[in-house]
Amino acid sequence: MDPVDVQGQSQGEVCSSLRERSISENSLVALLQGMQGHVTTVELRDEGWAQGRLQNVDAFMNLRMRDVLYRGHNMGHTSKLQDLFITGRNIRFVHIPDHMDVLQTIQTQLQRIHRVRTFNREGGVGGRREYCPKKK
Amino acid sequence: MRLILCSNSMADEVEQQPSTNTVEEPLDLIRLSLDERIYVKMRNDRELRGRLHAYDQHLNMILGDVEETVTTVEIDDETYEELYKSTKRNIPMLFVRGDGVVLVAPPLRVG
Repeated sequence: MDPVDVQGQSQGEVCSSLRERSISENSLVALLQGMQGHVTTVELRDEGWAQGRLQNVDAFMNLRMRDVLYRGHNMGHTSKLQDLFITGRNIRFVHIPDHMDVLQTIQTQLQRIHRVRTFNREGGVGGRREYCPKKK
Repeated sequence: MRLILCSNSMADEVEQQPSTNTVEEPLDLIRLSLDERIYVKMRNDRELRGRLHAYDQHLNMILGDVEETVTTVEIDDETYEELYKSTKRNIPMLFVRGDGVVLVAPPLRVG
């Protein structure tokens, strides 16, 4: 039985934490978040690598991947793992697939974050103020 | 600090970038190298040479047409000579996590 995902986000969803949204919005982690759902190779700090589908990336670059081919630094062989969690600190590189438009991916992810922020903004009362409006 | 990006063909600013062209802080020097080829020295005796497409305040970078060089030193058991070996590899588009970056410079000219 599959454990219930705490952060079960499909590709379009943005993290619900304000703090994480702010961090992602101001760094290149937004690109990795836009890559959720794609297959990539992540190279680790300890010389290992993991190739699989990026399921979820948070603001701290922690990754969850599915259907992963993983080779640890001291292993001479690769193992197939259904689910893998990698701490952001342990990442050295992430290979970006050739077909991916970097600029577009980042812009799309930023739009998703902005959409969450301005959701219901028009309603006035129900609007979520995440930053102070400019004073004239 | 906002994201600073450039497309493959020209330098475009995507996010609200403080519209200053003067160099105020060290990271601005990296901004001058956007869309240029650069040399990145990393931890663990690694070097990258590639085209800088984007960077952020952590020095996370996106590099295109990257050549990675890993240098190892082997010491001969008998003569104690140091033998430097380097392994190279090419990657079309790479995201580099900033905490591994030591320095960023224009590509080194030999001689």
